[in-house]
Amino acid sequence: MGTRKKSSIGQGPAFSRREFLVRSGLVGAGALSLPALLAACSSSGSSGTKTLSFDNWPEYIDAETVAAFAAASGINFKYTEGFNDNNEYFSKILPLLSQGKTIEADILAPTFWMAQRMLGLGWLQKLDLAKIPNAANLRSDLKDPAWDKGNQYSLPWQTGVAGLAYNIKATGREITSVEDLFAPEFKGKVGMLTEMRDTLGLVLMGLGKKIDQISTFDDAADGFDKIEKAKNDGQIRAFTGNDYIDDLSLGNFAVCVGWSGDVLQLGKDNPDVRFVIPEEGGTSWYDTMVWIKGSQNGDAVAEWMNYVYDPVNAARITAEVQYMSPVEGVRDELVKLGGDAAELAENPLLFPDDATLARLQSWGSLSEEEEAKFDERFSSITGA
Amino acid sequence: MSGVESTQQRTGRRLVNVAAVLGLLYLFAPIVVIVVFSFNKPLGKFNIVWQGFTLENWASPFSDQALTDALFVSLRVALISSVIAAVLGTMIALSLSRYRFKGSGAVNLFLVLPLTSPEVVLGSSLATLFLSRGVDFGYTTVIIAHVMFQISFVAVTVRARIRGFDWTLEQAAMDLGASPQRAFWRITFPLILPGILAAWLLSFALSIDDFIITFFNAGSLVTFPLQIFGASRVAIPPQINVLASMLLFLSIALMVGALLIESRRQRMIASGALKRKK
Amino acid sequence: MLVLAAGIVAVGAEWVTGNASLIVSAVMLVAVVTIIWTAFVGGLDTRRALAPYGLLKPGILWLSLFFLAPLWSMLQMSLSSKQNRFDFFPSFSWEWGNYTTAFSDYGAQFGRSFLYAAIATLFTLLIGYPLAYVIAFRGGKYKAVLLGLVAVPFFTSYLIRTLAWQNLLADSGPVMSVFNATGFTTVLEALGIITNGQIMNTPASVIGGLTYNFLPFMILPIYVSLEKIDVRLVDAAMDLYSSASAAFRRVVLPLSLPGVFAGSLLVFIPAAGDFVNAQFLGSPNTTMIGNVIQDQFLRQLNFPVASAMSFVLMAIITVSVLIYAKIMGTDDLV
Repeated sequence: MGTRKKSSIGQGPAFSRREFLVRSGLVGAGALSLPALLAACSSSGSSGTKTLSFDNWPEYIDAETVAAFAAASGINFKYTEGFNDNNEYFSKILPLLSQGKTIEADILAPTFWMAQRMLGLGWLQKLDLAKIPNAANLRSDLKDPAWDKGNQYSLPWQTGVAGLAYNIKATGREITSVEDLFAPEFKGKVGMLTEMRDTLGLVLMGLGKKIDQISTFDDAADGFDKIEKAKNDGQIRAFTGNDYIDDLSLGNFAVCVGWSGDVLQLGKDNPDVRFVIPEEGGTSWYDTMVWIKGSQNGDAVAEWMNYVYDPVNAARITAEVQYMSPVEGVRDELVKLGGDAAELAENPLLFPDDATLARLQSWGSLSEEEEAKFDERFSSITGA
Repeated sequence: MSGVESTQQRTGRRLVNVAAVLGLLYLFAPIVVIVVFSFNKPLGKFNIVWQGFTLENWASPFSDQALTDALFVSLRVALISSVIAAVLGTMIALSLSRYRFKGSGAVNLFLVLPLTSPEVVLGSSLATLFLSRGVDFGYTTVIIAHVMFQISFVAVTVRARIRGFDWTLEQAAMDLGASPQRAFWRITFPLILPGILAAWLLSFALSIDDFIITFFNAGSLVTFPLQIFGASRVAIPPQINVLASMLLFLSIALMVGALLIESRRQRMIASGALKRKK
Repeated sequence: MLVLAAGIVAVGAEWVTGNASLIVSAVMLVAVVTIIWTAFVGGLDTRRALAPYGLLKPGILWLSLFFLAPLWSMLQMSLSSKQNRFDFFPSFSWEWGNYTTAFSDYGAQFGRSFLYAAIATLFTLLIGYPLAYVIAFRGGKYKAVLLGLVAVPFFTSYLIRTLAWQNLLADSGPVMSVFNATGFTTVLEALGIITNGQIMNTPASVIGGLTYNFLPFMILPIYVSLEKIDVRLVDAAMDLYSSASAAFRRVVLPLSLPGVFAGSLLVFIPAAGDFVNAQFLGSPNTTMIGNVIQDQFLRQLNFPVASAMSFVLMAIITVSVLIYAKIMGTDDLV
C-alpha cells in the first residue's frame, strides 16, 4: 500500500500486537477507517537494509548518479521528482509535519528561502557533518548563509542566477538593462517568473535597490507597483516557471526574467536565445538539500550528501543539468570528462568571472510577517 | 427527404456538412500535435518546439521513471475506484428504475448535485473535510474522491441504459420457480451488463484523467495528470506524449474491437432471424 | 433513509469528532448491513419493501459522507479565521470578512469565469450542434464510427490536450500562420480579439481552450436527443410544404432542446470552475476564479477565503441552473 508513509518501513518502532489488533479492528468501520488501515499496513514490517528517499525537482539529476550511489552504498535509494513548486509542496507537508507525523522523503530540495522557513518551523534535522567530510568542498561564497550558520541544516544542491533571457530575433537588439522588460516595443512579449524573489529582485535592482538590504514590505513596495502596472498595461504576457524557455523559442516572449541554466541547456543549438545578467545586477539563488524531521535515516542522508559533494560525482550532475555547481573542483572534473562537458568548463554562465560575480545579489532574510505580505501582494498581481 | 431539393437547400446541406467536418478537424488538431511531438527530439527540458524526428522516445516509453510510476498510480486508482463506483452506482440505478418508492425524487436530485457542482468546489470542499478530520492525503483520499464523482455518472448512465428494461422477464422467471436472486443473476444481470460495463469504462476514463479534484486531495501522491501538471512548469519530457499516444491508440483499438464485435453480433442476429423466417 | 443520510452528514461535519466519528460511522455501517441482511432473510414482503432502500444505501452513504458533509465543512471553513500564517485548520468564528475579501479582491475573476464559460458554452453549441446533427441524420451506418471519432480525442489526457494548444496557438505557430496568410488576422485585430499578433495568452485562447475541452459534453447530449427524433416527422413537415429550414426550426430544433439544455449545463458548469485552461493558455489578466481558489487553497494556505469563494461559486451556479431550468421549462437535468 503506497501511501506517503512508505518510507517509514523499517524506521518506525514496530507495532505492538495490541495496537495492530486495534487498528485491524477498525477495518470493519469501512471507508473512514481506511487511512488507519493503510497506516497500519505501511508501518508494519521492518528490514535490515538502509533506505533513503529524496524528493527533488524534476529533471534535476543525470541518469547515472542515482543508480551508481545505490550500488556503491548498498542503500535502498528512492529518488523521486515530486518537488515542483516550493509553496505547493509546503502546503502538502504542512498538515503532516506540524502534527508530528512523518513524510515519505528523508531529503527535500527546497529553495533557500523555503529551507529557511522550514528551519524556522523546526522541521529540519541537524546534519551529521562529521560524516560528510566532502562538505568542505562547498564553494566559499555559499558557506555559512545568515540563516544557517555553519551549514548545520542545509547544503546547496544546485545554484544559479536569475537574469534576462531574450530571443534576439524577436527583440532585434541586445538586451542590457532591466528597463528593457518595461520597454513599450516589447508590449505583450515580456515574461516574468512565478518565483517571486527572482522576478521582484531584478525589478528592484532596476530601481536601484540593494536586495540584500530589503527587510520590510515597504522597502519593496515600489517594485510591486511597477510589476502591477506593467501587468495591467498588458506589458507582461505571462508569469511562468521554467517553461519560459519555450515561450522564448516559440517567439511568444521577446524578453523575460530567466535562469542561466535553462538558456545554457538549449545551448549552441538555438543561438537566438540568449541570457544576460543586466547591468543593474542579477539575483543569485540556490536550492538546498535538507534532512526532514521524523526521518530516521541520518546515516544514509549523510552518505548521499557526501557522495554528491565529491567533485567527480558533482561534475557528472553538472554536465547534465547545467546549473552552477555548489561544489568546488567541478570545473577540473568537467575538463577530465572531455567532450561537451569539457566545453561547459569554459562557459561563463556556469563559471562566471569575478566581475560578473560582483554584480550578483541575493535576498536577505524576511521575517515571517513581512514575507506573508510579500506573498499576498505577489499572488494578487499574478492574478491567481 | 421527399420532394425536389432546391439549390438553396442543397447549399444549406453542404454548409452543415462542412461545419461538421471543420468541427471534427478542430477536435483532432491537438491530437495530431500530441502524436507528432511524441517523435520529437527536444533539445532542452521542454518538448514543445519541433527539433527533429526520432524513434527514441517510442523505443523507451517507460524511461521516465517518475512518469511511469505516476501512470501506474493512476491505473490503480482508476481500477479500484471505478469498480467500487460501478457496484454502488448500479445498485442505485437498479433501485431507482426497478422500484417505485417514497423519496425517489429526492434521491434523483441528490444524484444530480455532484454532476452540477464544479470540480474545484468538489475538490476543495472534500479536502477541507479531510483536513478537519486529520485524515492524511494519499491513495485513500484520492480513491474516495474519485468514487464520489463516479457514483453519479454510473447511476445516471446505467439508469438510462435500463430504462426500457422489461421487468416482467424477471417476474416470469420467478413464476417459473426461480428464486429472486437466481432470477436477478440469470435474467436481469446479463441483460443490463452491457450498460454496467459502459458505465464502468466511463468512470475508469474519468478517473484516469481527473486532475482538478485529485489535485486538492492527493497530498504527495502523484497521479499521471498531476505529474504532467508538475512537469509543465519544470520540464516536459517527450515520454509524456508517447504514453498519451499509447493510451489513445489503446482506447481506439478497444473501441474498434467493440464496434466489430457489435456489428458481427448484429449480422448474426440478422442472419439468425432470416433462418428462422424460412 | 434521508434521516440516515442527515445523520451521516452530522457525523461528517463538526458535531462528532475524532475517534467518536469512526465509531459512529461503524455503527451506522453495521446498521446498514443489518438492514440488508434482514432483507435477505426476511419474508418476501419485507424484502420488497426494503429492497429499494437497501440498494440505495451504500451509494447514498458514500455521497452523503464525501459530497454533502464536505459542503458543510466548507461552509464552516468559509466563516473561520486563521490564528497564524501557517494555521492549516482555522477555527470557526463567524468571519464574514472572508466573503467580503472574495468579492472585493476577486470580483474580476468571478466576472471573467462566468463570461468565459458563457461564451465557451455558446461556441460549443455552434460547433457541436452541426456535428451532432450530421452524425444523427446523415451518419447512416457510420454513426457509431463517427461518434467514436468525436470521443477519441478525449481519450488523451486533458492536460496534454491543453498543452498541445500552446503549440498550435503560439505566435509563430500554425494557427497564427494561417490567420496571417489569409489576412484573417486583420479582421480579428479589428474585432480586438488579436492584439500584437498574438492569440495565445489572451481571453480568446482561454475561451478557445474551454470550448475545445468541453465540446463532447455538448455533442453527446444533443446527439442523443436528435437520435430519438423520428425522421418521418421531418418528412411530414416537408410534405406539408414546409421549407427545410422551417422544418428544422419548427420540428427538429424544439425536439432537440432537452439535449441543448443538458449539454449547456455540462459545459457551463465545469468551464466556470476550470483553472487549467486559464493557467496554460492565459495571461495574468485572464485568470478565472478556479485559479484563485486553487492558489489560495494549495499555495497560500488561505483555506477560509478559498472556501468562501468556492461557496459563492457554487451558489451562483446553482441559482443560474435553476433560472435556466425555469426558462427552458424542464426539470429533467440529465
